[in-house]
Amino acid sequence: MREKDKKIFSEKEKITRRDFLGLSAKGAAATMIAGVFSPSVGSMIGLGGVAEAATKKIKPFTFAVMTDGHLYNIKDHRFDAMFMKAVDMINNMKPRPDMVIYGGDIGQTGLEAEIKKGKNMLDKLKMPYKVIPGEHDWYLDMGKAWRGFFGEENWSINHNGAHVIGMNSIKIDDFWTGPGLTPEERMGRVLELECNSCGPWGVEEDGLEWLKKDVKKVSPDTPVVIFTHSPLWDYYPRWNFATKDAPEIRNILRKFDNVMSVHGHVHQVVFNKIGNISSVGTSSTSWPWPYPPVELPYPHIRHNRLDPGNFEDGMGAHHLSVADNGVGTMFYDPFEPSSIPDAVKRGVKL
Amino acid sequence: MRKKQFVKVSSAAILLGSVVFLVSGTVQSKEPLDDAADFDRLMDAVAYGDMLWHTGEGEGGKHKELSTNGLGCANCHPDGSATQPQSWPKYQTNLGKVGTLREMINWCIQVVQNGKGYALDSKEMIAMEAYATYMNRGAKLDPGLNAQTAPFVISGPGYPTNDEGNR
Repeated sequence: MREKDKKIFSEKEKITRRDFLGLSAKGAAATMIAGVFSPSVGSMIGLGGVAEAATKKIKPFTFAVMTDGHLYNIKDHRFDAMFMKAVDMINNMKPRPDMVIYGGDIGQTGLEAEIKKGKNMLDKLKMPYKVIPGEHDWYLDMGKAWRGFFGEENWSINHNGAHVIGMNSIKIDDFWTGPGLTPEERMGRVLELECNSCGPWGVEEDGLEWLKKDVKKVSPDTPVVIFTHSPLWDYYPRWNFATKDAPEIRNILRKFDNVMSVHGHVHQVVFNKIGNISSVGTSSTSWPWPYPPVELPYPHIRHNRLDPGNFEDGMGAHHLSVADNGVGTMFYDPFEPSSIPDAVKRGVKL
Repeated sequence: MRKKQFVKVSSAAILLGSVVFLVSGTVQSKEPLDDAADFDRLMDAVAYGDMLWHTGEGEGGKHKELSTNGLGCANCHPDGSATQPQSWPKYQTNLGKVGTLREMINWCIQVVQNGKGYALDSKEMIAMEAYATYMNRGAKLDPGLNAQTAPFVISGPGYPTNDEGNR
């Protein structure tokens, strides 16, 4: 972590003696905290929060969200500028978000150079950030470059009394070995939204086991925010607007009073609520996907018709504010304000 | 020409004309539209359109006519969605006139994908139109439609799988 980020967190986080004892007792859990955090600072914001959650007190906070940059390894590609515009937008948010979550698909074809280009721009954020992978980041080298830049694909932190989770939800059963596909051919298949031979995605068994352990000791009255690339509900499986083991994930998280799911991949404004879990989709910084041919569960939460001649229409960043009662509100921060209906601009309750 | 001779010539001409009509009628009659061979020819065009749509490659490899910035049709139009073949011709703001789907495909190629574009009667353009139209089959003709539409619903977890990766 950079010095300025350490400073932000050292100012924000007050470690009590109780927190410190909790940290000592659960030192092994520090391995969960990876990515951009060094172990010392990660432990400070993470395990300190476990104790905070037990006090049932939520200190309001805001996370910014950006996702789906789909950067190409082409110099001065227009997606670079859109990515950077989201970074600048977040840097200028007032009040400044505590943290930024990147929702996957930094690159388009999985090249290390694409992911590096994105990381270089994310490093210009004035606050700490965490990243989850998307399928475009993964299936050229099976996540090698991504892991080298960002660390563990499943992580959690505790922040101001909330439990925040990021998971790799784009794991696919091996469809490439049988036909003898090269890595490039495998990636070529996966980068088609309507890939026929790729099969559905999920966190798979090891992800479910990780999640069970992660939330085992988190009290049910702790607000949970979970970031995945794909939606945790069956929106439109043909385009992998779904996660195959979402029912199991929802079951693991069923004990909590309020779970806020934020996902990338869909490149659009969309919302759903299943039991205690509210899910909200995000705009990209690359292109918008059309709405699939299914009825939206909440048809009033969608973006307006977009102008293909305006490359910023339908794109943007977001911020999620969690209040002291543990209820979150997702705000879309579009590059082109007319893309978002006024009712949605006022925020989506999670 | 005497009347008797005129009648003879005329009769012969009518007879010859009838034979020609019958023969040419047999030769020129079109195979039924649902003939398997015709449909295969259409599907060859759809498959070529699918390839152009998704890979940016056509006959001979990468097509600079199609894209020079990595973007392809499928980036924004999976399954040919939001192409609305049933709505064209219509007034399209970006074209600034009443235009056709082929003209709009070229607009996307040139403006969004930084490609050169194709002749409107080229094999590639027809193939892409065939792909978009096939993927929206069954849509009711609706000239001027401006709402965003997507193709038919395919339920279930992804596609039927085969080794070739064809849809």
